[in-house]
Amino acid sequence: MTAAAVTIGAQPEGLAARRALRNSRLRALGFGVFAVLAIYLASKSFDVAAQFSFWIDKQGGQAATLSTTVGAIWVVAAAATALVAVLQLRGAEFRWRPWLLVAIAPWIAALIGNLLAGKPAVMTNVIAGSLELAAPISMAAMAGILSERSGMFNIALEGKMLVGACVAAIAGSVVSLATGNTVLAVLVAVVSAMLVGALLGLLLAWLGIRHKVNQVIAGTVINIGALGITSFIFLRILSRATQFNSPPPVQAIRIPLLADLPVLGPILFVATPYVYVAYALVVILTYMIYRTRWGLRLRAAGEKPAAAGTVGINVLQIRYRALILAGLISGLAGSYLSLATSSSFQLNMAVGKGYIGLAAMIFGGWHPVGAFLAALVFGFADATQSLLSILGVDVAPQILQSIPYVVTIIVVAGVVGRVRGPASAGQPYEQG
Amino acid sequence: MRHVGSVLRRVLVPFLSVLTALLLGGVVIILTDFDNLQHIVTDPLGTLVGAVKGVLAAYGAMLAGAFGDPGRIGTALQTGNATDIARAIRPVTETLVSAMPLIFCGLAVAISFRAGMFNIGGDGQLLIGALAATTSAIYLNGHAPSWLILIASIAFATLAGGAWGFVPGFLKARTGAHEVITTIMLNYIASLFVFFTLTTSVDLRAAGSTTPVSKQLSGITDVPNIISLPTIRLDYGFVVALLMAVAVSWLLFRTTKGFELRASGFSPTAARYAGMSAGGSMMLAMSLSGGLCGMAGGFLVIGTVGQLSLDISGGIGFNAIALALLAGLRPSGVVVSALLFGALTQGGKRMGIDTGIPFDLLLLIMALVIMFVAAPGLIRSIWRVRVSKPAPEIASVSTESAGTL
Repeated sequence: MTAAAVTIGAQPEGLAARRALRNSRLRALGFGVFAVLAIYLASKSFDVAAQFSFWIDKQGGQAATLSTTVGAIWVVAAAATALVAVLQLRGAEFRWRPWLLVAIAPWIAALIGNLLAGKPAVMTNVIAGSLELAAPISMAAMAGILSERSGMFNIALEGKMLVGACVAAIAGSVVSLATGNTVLAVLVAVVSAMLVGALLGLLLAWLGIRHKVNQVIAGTVINIGALGITSFIFLRILSRATQFNSPPPVQAIRIPLLADLPVLGPILFVATPYVYVAYALVVILTYMIYRTRWGLRLRAAGEKPAAAGTVGINVLQIRYRALILAGLISGLAGSYLSLATSSSFQLNMAVGKGYIGLAAMIFGGWHPVGAFLAALVFGFADATQSLLSILGVDVAPQILQSIPYVVTIIVVAGVVGRVRGPASAGQPYEQG
Repeated sequence: MRHVGSVLRRVLVPFLSVLTALLLGGVVIILTDFDNLQHIVTDPLGTLVGAVKGVLAAYGAMLAGAFGDPGRIGTALQTGNATDIARAIRPVTETLVSAMPLIFCGLAVAISFRAGMFNIGGDGQLLIGALAATTSAIYLNGHAPSWLILIASIAFATLAGGAWGFVPGFLKARTGAHEVITTIMLNYIASLFVFFTLTTSVDLRAAGSTTPVSKQLSGITDVPNIISLPTIRLDYGFVVALLMAVAVSWLLFRTTKGFELRASGFSPTAARYAGMSAGGSMMLAMSLSGGLCGMAGGFLVIGTVGQLSLDISGGIGFNAIALALLAGLRPSGVVVSALLFGALTQGGKRMGIDTGIPFDLLLLIMALVIMFVAAPGLIRSIWRVRVSKPAPEIASVSTESAGTL
């Protein structure tokens, strides 16, 4: 701000406070309207049954069923919304954004209940499915965090995942054809996807750092190129020689003992290895970024590279390494697509997952734990969409499919809450 | 003489970029030709010859598809037979037909780039424009004369595309949401939305069709053709595209608004201190950008194709980025590059039919073109030539106005 802005800043101070108060009252009014709307919706749907069931021991075994009516859920939603409205009345300093989640959760449950219209929903599948679908998004978000914490934009996650998926499919098929050993084939597939991801990460770093190409343009180059080369390979080779596009599938693993826990076991401890790797990555990255010297340097490179350089940190080296590491992770996330979802590579099979990963990173405030939770939201949106389409709900599939994209825009636009990223992300750095 | 030299130097990097990208595309063709490569141990020389032959066949088909056979055009013109002339000049006119939407979308990318916005949502804006044109043509059918329907459809297409482009501009200006993410997401949403309307709307859907396509619009209205010969599709949409290039050039370099757009793109902070509204420029640039793409969609469905389908954009949005960068974000350059890319597109289709090499190779070539244009240092080290620095606009976009990414 200029000096002039500071001197006249005193007057609008009171104005700003009054405006904030008015906004908070308007917000309270808005919450109130929604609470009344929920009561109205409740009165309409007391005769609609809502059944949510959980597998107790295993898929298709005994189930614990929660039976209620959709109206009851709407009552809960109305109560929660009214509570937030009342709390908001306290004034402008009320932190309403976290409380918004309290109100939104029962709304979503009730809306899903209305859509299901009495059809029983197996929540074990929805929750386990959310975790499963969140895994690649979470991994992409981790890759994004590593890059941006070091000061580099990484739009190219999408392209790296796509190429990773393609390479994993080919490598897995070839090794499986040659040796017949499926475990070895999967390992080779995953490792080669990661290596290709790392190479693309290196390319991105090289273009951005050495040639000072705008990092968004460099990322777009990789994304368009990845779409081109994978579609080319698919159409020229894989669609004709399908034996090169049938990698062994990665299946769910039961963790002994833990998987026998009632209700929780089938949700948390029967999953593909990717889910466990995604958990592990969250823990490892949180520790590495916030508790190690390397992490401190990484964050310094992304926040204030000039200061980091002054104390003798090799900023460019840190950025190169971060992007290679991010490439490894996004290649791994890509291999999930072709090994764990369809056991083959398909045209443009990433369908925006890389960008959604970036949205999860932003939503999660550039913190691994936050990004993982955000990825869960996207996973839940995906899982709900497949639940609704499996049960044959009367909503067009295209509308359901567009939900994750709409949520991504809302998240990136920061409607859920403004967040601040690494200060110098995207800025080239001249190392003396 | 010095003028000629400076022009030559300016086109050196774009020229070498395209050449290098095509050469690398050739390498990819060779590496994926397993029928040829399997003899590499027993007959290395034959494999090498086969590889070169394969690439020459592919690019030969591309050339033939893009420009036809000049000798044949000459003889056909002498005989004066309409069918012969049409058949001979069709490759050239089809190249111009392919260039038409590329000019619109290339201008769109150039405008947004100049204002510091990276619009990769051209495909979505084009699709929404095409949907608007289709809808208005079908609903106005019988209520208005054909020429009025044409104008109204194109106008609605432009408005709809502009609105679709306004959203990311608004979000960037108000919340800092990065346009690369929002435009890509809007691409997916646009595609799903068009899919949705084509499957559910009885008014729009072609009766008895299993794939999501709209009714034929050619019976309702059509963009008049420039040359009236059988099978020639070149229409006045191409002329409008050229006029738009002039208009964009005038707007960017001869008006105050254009100056503000460029200033905000160059440095939003400096523009703000000079009393300009950087956010307003972002929204304006994205709306204009989306409007141009929407107009392209309108001309595609009403004129060229005559029917709305999901694959109507065919990656034009991505190609437009490559060609706008290749053109150094100059409207005149956009026209030239769009003609080149139109030739590549048209040739690529012919290559796919003649040699079975998938059209998607072009996407890779486009990506390489963008890379080389944005990193002239690569061209310098490959070809050992002295090159100038990239246009400052290309270097500066979205670094200062980065927003949330």
